[in-house]
Parts: sequence; C-alpha cells; structure tokens
Amino acid sequence: MELQKFSYDNRMTRNFAIATMVWGVVGLVAGLLIAFQIFIPSMNFGLEFTTFGRTRPVHTNAVIFAFVGNAIFTAVYYSLQRLLKTRIYSDLLSKIHFWGWQSIIVAAAVTLLAGFTTGKEYAELEWPIDIAITVVWVVFGWNMFGTILQRRTSHIYVSIWFYIATWVTVAVLHIFNSLAVPVSFLKSYTLYAGVQDALVQWWYGHNAVAFFLTTPFLGMMYYFVPKVSGRPVYSYKLSIVHFWSLIFLYIWAGPHHLLYSSLPDWLQALGTTFSVMLIAPSWGGMINGLLTLRGAWDKVRKEPVLKMFVVGVTAYGMSTFEGPLLSFKSVNAISHFTDWTIGHVHIGALGWNGLLTFGMIYWLIPRLYNTTLYSTKLANVHFWIATLGIVFYAVPLYIGGITQALMWKQFTPDGFLMYPNFLETVSQLIPMYAIRAFGGTLYVIGMLILIYNIVKTIQAGSFVAEEAAQAPALESESESKTQSESWHRFLERKPIRFLIFATIAILIGGIVEVIPTYLIKSNIPTITSVKPYTPLELQGRDIYVKEGCYNCHSQMVRPFRSETERYGEYSKSGEFIYDHPFQFGSKRTGPDLAREGVKTGKIYKPNSWHYNHFIDPQKMNEASIMPKYPWLAKKEIDIKSTPGKIRAMKLLGVPYPDNYELKAIDDLKAQADSIAKDLAAAGIQTDSNREIIALIAYMQRLGVDISNKPEKK
Amino acid sequence: MHTNDDNELNKPNDVHQEVDEVTQIKYFGGDHEYDGIKELDNPLPPWLKYLFYVTIVVSFSYLTLLFVFEDDDIVQRKEYRKEIMAARAKTEVAVKEESAKAAAAPLSQEQILAAGKVIYDKTCLVCHGKFGEGLVGPNFTDEYWIHGGRPEDLLKVINDGVIEKGMISYKSQLNPTQINHVIAYILSLQGTNPPNPKAPQGEKFVKN
Repeated sequence: MELQKFSYDNRMTRNFAIATMVWGVVGLVAGLLIAFQIFIPSMNFGLEFTTFGRTRPVHTNAVIFAFVGNAIFTAVYYSLQRLLKTRIYSDLLSKIHFWGWQSIIVAAAVTLLAGFTTGKEYAELEWPIDIAITVVWVVFGWNMFGTILQRRTSHIYVSIWFYIATWVTVAVLHIFNSLAVPVSFLKSYTLYAGVQDALVQWWYGHNAVAFFLTTPFLGMMYYFVPKVSGRPVYSYKLSIVHFWSLIFLYIWAGPHHLLYSSLPDWLQALGTTFSVMLIAPSWGGMINGLLTLRGAWDKVRKEPVLKMFVVGVTAYGMSTFEGPLLSFKSVNAISHFTDWTIGHVHIGALGWNGLLTFGMIYWLIPRLYNTTLYSTKLANVHFWIATLGIVFYAVPLYIGGITQALMWKQFTPDGFLMYPNFLETVSQLIPMYAIRAFGGTLYVIGMLILIYNIVKTIQAGSFVAEEAAQAPALESESESKTQSESWHRFLERKPIRFLIFATIAILIGGIVEVIPTYLIKSNIPTITSVKPYTPLELQGRDIYVKEGCYNCHSQMVRPFRSETERYGEYSKSGEFIYDHPFQFGSKRTGPDLAREGVKTGKIYKPNSWHYNHFIDPQKMNEASIMPKYPWLAKKEIDIKSTPGKIRAMKLLGVPYPDNYELKAIDDLKAQADSIAKDLAAAGIQTDSNREIIALIAYMQRLGVDISNKPEKK
Repeated sequence: MHTNDDNELNKPNDVHQEVDEVTQIKYFGGDHEYDGIKELDNPLPPWLKYLFYVTIVVSFSYLTLLFVFEDDDIVQRKEYRKEIMAARAKTEVAVKEESAKAAAAPLSQEQILAAGKVIYDKTCLVCHGKFGEGLVGPNFTDEYWIHGGRPEDLLKVINDGVIEKGMISYKSQLNPTQINHVIAYILSLQGTNPPNPKAPQGEKFVKN
C-alpha cells in the first residue's frame, strides 16, 4: 500500500479560532452590559442604539452565531481534515466561508443596533443578511462535502455524522423560518402570522439550540475528548443509538416554548412528550463523553483542558435534564416568562458551549503554533473563575425566577391578587440581578485571561500553516453492503446516503407539526371581530418591533386565574391572525401587554399616561426599571412607507379593502391627529407625526378586538 | 428485554479485535480508528436504555390521555374552568370568615390609614403621585375635585372608573374593606403640601 503525502490547511482553523476569541469578548461584554442595564435603567444611556431592546439581540446573536458559530467552524476545519486524512476541499471556499461569515456578523451588529429587526428571537436579522447567511452556509456545506468525498478513510467518524446533521438541519430551519415579504431594503414582514408564526419560530428557535449549540458541539466533543485524553470512545453502539434518536426527536420539541399559550393542545402535548423522550438520547452524549475519560481521571486532575471538558459535558447533562423538566406543563406554568429560563440557557451556553470552546482553544492553539501553552496555571485559574462565574450567574436567576412566579400567582384568601402591582414583583429581583451581573463579570474576566494566555502562546510559537501528513489512498470498496458489515457500518462509508437519511429524520417532526396547523382550520378558530391594524397602529407595531419591546414584554395572557385576574381574558389563537410577526415574547421583565388597550380591562392606561411613561418611566414610578424612550417624541413616523406596508400585508393575506393603500396615509393622519388632540386635552403638546403617537395607537389597540362583539349586543 | 439491534451491532466485522489495556474492553472492529481515536465495544448502559423505554411509554400514555380521553388536566380550556370554579368556591368561604373577623375586631383610625397607604402605594401612586400630588391623575391634596370629594363620590369613581380619563374600575382588584381604607387614606391627604403639586382640577369642594 503506497503512502500518499499531503498537508492539512491550518490557516482556516487559526482564523476561525481567532474570530471565536474576538467575538467571544464582544458577545460576553454585550451580555455583561445588558446584565447591568436590566437593573440600572441609566445604563441604557438614554440613546436608542444602546437601549436594552436593541443590545439584547446583539448579545444573543453575537454569542450564538459569532462566538459559538466560529468555534464550530474551528472544530470542523481542524477535525474534518484529520478524521478523513485529506486536505480541505477548496481554499477559495474556505476563504469565502470565513470572510462571508465575519461580514455577516458585522452587518448583524450594525443593523440590530440601528433598529433593523424582524422581531423574531435569534432570527432577528433582516432579509438581505438572511440571504447572505444562506449563501455562506451553502459554501460551508459544499466545502465540507467536497472534503468528505475526497477522503482517504473508508468510513466517516461519529463527529462527522453530527457535522452533517448540523449542516442540513440548520439550512432547513434558517430558510423556512426566514421566509418573508420585503417592504424595503431592510424591512420585511414574515410569511407566517400569529400562532403559526410562533410555531415556526420556536421550531426554529428550539432547534437552533439543538442543531447549532448542541449537535456540532457533540461532534466537537467526540473528537477533542478522546484526542486530549488519549482514551478510546466509550461506546460505538451508544454513539449510533443516541445520534439517530437525538436528531429525530429534537425537531419535535419546539412547541414546549409555547405551553399554556394559544397554541392548540395537541401541539403542546407533542412538545412536552418529545422533550421527555429526549432525556436519554441527550444523556447518551454526556455518558459517552464522560466515560471516555475512564482510565484518564489522573490526567483530568492535572490538565485544565480536560477539566473544562468534564464540567462542560456535565453542564450539558444538567441542562438536558432541566429542559424536559421545564417542558412539564406544571413546571412550565411557573418557569415560563421568568428568569428561570435565562438561568437554564446559560448553564448550556456558559457551561457546555463556553467551556468546551475554551478547552478546545487551549489545546489547539499550541498545536497550530508548534509550541506549548504559555501558562497552564492561568488556564487553571480561568477554569475555576469560569465555573464559579456560572454558579453565581445561574443560582440567583433560579431563585429570582421562582420567587417572581410565585408572587404573580399568589392570591389573598378573599380572592384578590396579593401583588396586583407588577412592579412589586420586579423590585424583589434587583438583588438577584446584581449577583447575576457579578457572576457574569467573573466569566468575562476568565475570557480575558484566556486572551492574554493565547496571545502569549502565539508570540512564543511559529505558525504551521501547512501541516505535513501521509496516508494510503482509499481502496475501492464494494458498492453494496457486504455480509460481515452491519447496516450502520455500511452507511458510514456512504456519506451522501447518510445525509439523505439524516435529512429524512429531521424533516418528519417539522412536517407533522407545521403542516396541519395550516391545513386544518379548527387549529386556529376564526374570531369575526378581529380586524386588521389601522395604518397608524401598523406603524406603531413596527416601532414596537424596532425598539425590541418583545425582549421584555409578552403579549400572551395564559389561561390561569392569576393571569386573567391580572390582565384580563386569556389570549385566543384567532386574535393574532394579522400579526406578522407574532409578538408573544418569551420573558416578562415588564408586564404582559396583550390586553393593554382594553378600556374596561384591568390594566388600561390613558394616552397621556403612555406618553409620559415612554419618555420617563421613572417619573411615573420611581422603582421602574424600564429604559427611557425620549426619542420617540422627537422622531417622525415614516409616513411615506405606509402604502408599501399595506401592500405587503395584503400580499400576506391581510384583508384590507381594495386600493386601501391609497387611502392609508389619510387615515393614519386622522387617527394621529385625534390622539394628539386627546394628549393636548391632558396638557401635553406634541405634533401628531411623532413615533410616540403611533406607538400609543398600537398600545391602545392591543387585545381590544375580542371584546368588540357588536352582533351579540 | 434485550434488543435485536444490540446483537446486530455486536457482530464482529473484523478478525483481530484488540483489548483496551485500562478497562479490558474490546475495541470495536480493527479498522475503527480515526486520527488515532478508537472506539470501545461497550453495550448501552442498561439503566439508560430502560430510562429511554420508560420515557417513551410515559409519553405515549400522555398523548393517549389527550387524544383519546381528552383528559381534564391536559386540555387547557378545561383546566382553566376547573381552576376558576375551585377558586370561586374557596373565596366565598373566606370572604364570610373575613367579614366576621372584621366585625369582631374593628381597626383603629391609625390602622385604617396605614392599611390605606399600603394599597395607595401599590395601586394609585402610578397615576396620582407618590404623595397624592397628582401626575396623570388629579391632585388629591387640594380642595378641588372633578367628581366630588365626599367618600361616596370617591367610592363611585373607584368602583366604576372614569374610563374616558383612563381611570379603570378597581372593583375586581380591591375588596370593599380595602376600598374603604384607601378612601380614608386619600381624604387624609387633604391640605398636605407635597412638592410639585398638579394644578387644581374640577370644582372646589365645600364640606357641609
């Protein structure tokens, strides 16, 4: 057998690793900023670009797509070549992939801060950037499959199974969730409305966690844990069973983000049950990772990289146990909309994604630079400070989340809410927010220690751009399954067939859940009194989305006595049919707004209250933690855009009358004038063309339609 | 409950199986090596396998409860109705007990004002200011009232609301005793001179 000589490209691995570190700092610092903003309103600096509703999406997008994304590509570009004994398929594709992805990140940060957003969590980027993501993702896949097809090994290793599943699923999720009708260069309305939009969004959102934060990291774990420890993988059979069960089951679990919402019961039940069935497949990954270290525990004691892997994989096990727990309706009744969820995701993000990434970087950089790590001691310090940071981060949020939920639900013996003022339940949390910010600070310090250590390591070493390697050429193999081969073993040497099987596995759940929601009318019963938004309200809604109000306010009254007492009638699916996008929200830092406009309701406020409150919430209530929005009273409504918006809505099936776009501006002005007049009567002088007027109009429309039942009166 | 799958995968597909020195477990197959990484031929941990089976059984039972039996504890419309009925029954008893207790031990004027202040700070402060000086809502400290300054006038406003001005009805948020307490507190604010008072609104009210 003749050995072929070739080399591995280390440049892209190095580039992605550096990008991981740079964006890691950016994402974590943004996280720290919002951790302070949430309990110190002045930290929003009174500027639209630095206010929580815009900075929070920057944090989440930076951490998920920039930090974790680049970490995934680092791992893939390094391990793929070595596991397949071949050079990466195309240097040009690598370059397009790298620079394309970094440009997308920069574009994302700029547009999000400037207020261009689709209003769908973790999918906030507007349509031109969505298209760019699709293109770069295809380039990545092309490069990956090109490499796989020119391999010198007969079979593909479990890491690569996970990479394949990641690639195809993220492509499917991203494309279908991002479908939208553009209104202008940086504004679009999502194709789906209300409950359907919510279902698609959380099918995407949950599986972004599954296939962006989990499966590629399992691939990473399967490569780096055995590599660093020098131990064989615990069980090949477990790899097979947990891989297929994980990717098949995960895709069904999205509706658990919508328990006790207007989503039909059958979908909620699928969300719950498939989450419960996910425990064992998830733990299969954890067990295979941890038990691989059997016989290497003495090394774990000395090697900070392995320590990070152990805590990271354990954090994975913890959050994948907690996830199903939160999917029980009885637990979710408490946890949903509180900080408990935030604590939960950070166990995964800081523990699993963070520590695995750090471990990989500490191990990888010295190898790329043909040297040793500058300081193992500092890496150890990083390990401890990060672990401690996670504890200080998560524990107060668990306590705070449960406390707040119990306060929301507490009744007096004679049947009144014990804490009718929402703010009272917020003020309780301030100390918890402060401790969380301390935990976050520790974690950021750890990250900075890593940067110092790595810079020193790089300075001491010399970069090996082309790493020489040799391997025998791949012998031609039987096209069909041989007698001695198991079916899976056969599949492992047929990567395209593998891709097709994985695609089928991940499509089933989505198809079963999404399609009937469109085709079967009883899933979303029509309410005849629900009408489209007026042009002014539509503009107001766009401002609501632009300012990221959904980051702190929900629009979903859940069917609990404690919620109908506080907010009014619980939300019905038929109320949201003109909502492109849906704005249910996922966290109540402030109160629910679904019934804000109901005049006979529990939380109605006059126009003048809203006006004063937007400009200075602390004037209305000292303890409020809402940021000030003074620019709303200065900036003018983009009235010119109205006809285009109406046209786009009509295209999406919203029943405005024929040629309404011609009349829309007049209607908008008339409604705005009447609000300005009402404000004037309350002593507030303002022009009627200001954004604040549109937002007030939207507030006063929220939840109103369902109580307009003229035919019954 | 040994599955066929395991046996299937167990089939040795290579003759020279080696053994991991540390754990004495066989490696899986001879060519199972990727960039130096080998894989062991361990079976699935039995407890994990059974945990998986249990979750599947539990899940399908749950789905059956919903789809076939439309169980009261899963269909949320029914759940909600149940919760409301239970609460209604409970509060009726509690309200009777409460009023009996109140009748037995009436509060002193100071206690009434203190209780009223607690309610005021939770409920009224947002619109009427911390000291009753008025904000969006009118000033409580001057002698001018839009809807009258007698206790029964205040009661009517609190119970029915003045919706066109943004004052909602608090009938469903405060019980009658609490409403009386907060009225007493609001009236006690008369003549206090808080900072930043809102200009008088309505008519001067003369006690008779």
